[in-house]
Amino acid sequence: MDLFRDTLGILSVFVLPLLLVGFPLYGLYKRVPVYESFVGGAREGFDVAVRIIPYLVAILFAIAMFRASGAMDAFVGVLGPITSLIGIPGEVLPMAILRPLTGSGSAALVADMIQQYGEDSILVKMAATMYGSSETTFYVLAVYFGAVSVTKTRHAVPVGLLADMAGFIISVYVVTWLFG
Amino acid sequence: MLNYIWAGLIVVSFAFALYYDGRDLARDTYANGHALGVQVAFPDGYDAEARGQDVEARFDPVAFQALYDVEADTAAFPAELIRTDEGTQLRWAADAELPEPLATVATHTNPRDEVLQGETAAFGAVPAGARVVRTAVRFEPVRFVKLQAISGAALEFATTAAELAIGLIGVLALFLGLLRIAEAAGIIGAMARVVEPLLRPLFPDIPKGHPAYSLIVMNLAANVMGLGNAATPFGIKAMEELQKLNPEKSTATNPMVMLLVMNTASVQLVPPVLLIALMGLQINQLIFAIILATGLSLVIAVTLAKLFERIPRFRASDPARLKGGAAPADFE
Repeated sequence: MDLFRDTLGILSVFVLPLLLVGFPLYGLYKRVPVYESFVGGAREGFDVAVRIIPYLVAILFAIAMFRASGAMDAFVGVLGPITSLIGIPGEVLPMAILRPLTGSGSAALVADMIQQYGEDSILVKMAATMYGSSETTFYVLAVYFGAVSVTKTRHAVPVGLLADMAGFIISVYVVTWLFG
Repeated sequence: MLNYIWAGLIVVSFAFALYYDGRDLARDTYANGHALGVQVAFPDGYDAEARGQDVEARFDPVAFQALYDVEADTAAFPAELIRTDEGTQLRWAADAELPEPLATVATHTNPRDEVLQGETAAFGAVPAGARVVRTAVRFEPVRFVKLQAISGAALEFATTAAELAIGLIGVLALFLGLLRIAEAAGIIGAMARVVEPLLRPLFPDIPKGHPAYSLIVMNLAANVMGLGNAATPFGIKAMEELQKLNPEKSTATNPMVMLLVMNTASVQLVPPVLLIALMGLQINQLIFAIILATGLSLVIAVTLAKLFERIPRFRASDPARLKGGAAPADFE
């Protein structure tokens, strides 16, 4: 496991310099006007970022309202007894709800749980595994579909959320199996 | 779907905010208009002439319990006694860790510096030099906390969203510039031919040899390495390539949805930097659990995406079918 992690760590350190140096170098070899090409491509960066803004604003403000309203506590209160029947403690439920909605919010929740239960606690391990094994679904959705101005997302949201849910349940079971 | 979730978040937020605020009003959670007994200690003795005086204020536990119906905190907090033309005010120090509901009262009645401040009963009869004085403090009324909170949060995060997007410009520019070189040098095309057989089962709608294949691979590889900064531009560029194949520009195609759910499920073999920072060495124990959970959820995401494509609703809205006939089988 350590060897695997080290190899991966070293690899991920080298990938970026390789891209940064390798592409222009190979371009030169292929007689591509590298500087002009770079600038031409980079100009798109601004357009893409600006194109994303409406999508991000729409998603983030709605999620912020939801968090500020206290609705989440109510959901946890209702869902907690149900999920604890299938072995998912109510304490990690806020994480499952928050993770697809906000990256910074769920990171703050991990920090908060560390404060409350300590790093060794199984609840923190569950929450951290949930955090590490998933992405902020709605942010990714806003950025990737926003960049190409897609508004009709078809089955992206249900599939993304179901996969998140499955990931969270697996996280809880794996942590219980390993440390329980 | 997104329409309902989005509107649902907003409506549910409003409903809950109304409910909580109504409950607070009914229960009088903040005891609006009532004065709270406070014991004020003067370290240097009471000075009737001074306009401002540093004191230590302690809430009367019995009065606290009676007013707010919560366990009283009897700690003494540094505060300042201020005399103005309107009357005498007690102003708690900014770093005082006030018990609820007074912390909410502070942030709500004084949003600028979040300091608890209230009007005290007259100090007229207090002899100069007194060490301890019992008085009562009346705070500004607090109402509609949650309603104000949701509007505040909406405004704040609208700004955050724009800042996030603007913050992406630099990294996007860097990688989109590099990708343009790679395109011109033929790297993208060559890579697409290599990885195409691997990805073809997941993305059957992308024509053979299409550059989207190599961008998808770069996006997934960057994710696996934990290089989120690079993954986003690659993913966006891949989406742009897929959009070129899309006859119905506002609707996501099957390959677009597949790419998206592969990103939301996020196979990260290197845990996110933020999590490492939070968990410290403990993270080592969790690597295996994280990889297992993220890997399985990716398999589930891919399977579900394939299954959902076949649901009549989503099959009917597939742009490739809408316009009659899929994209050409051969790209080149």
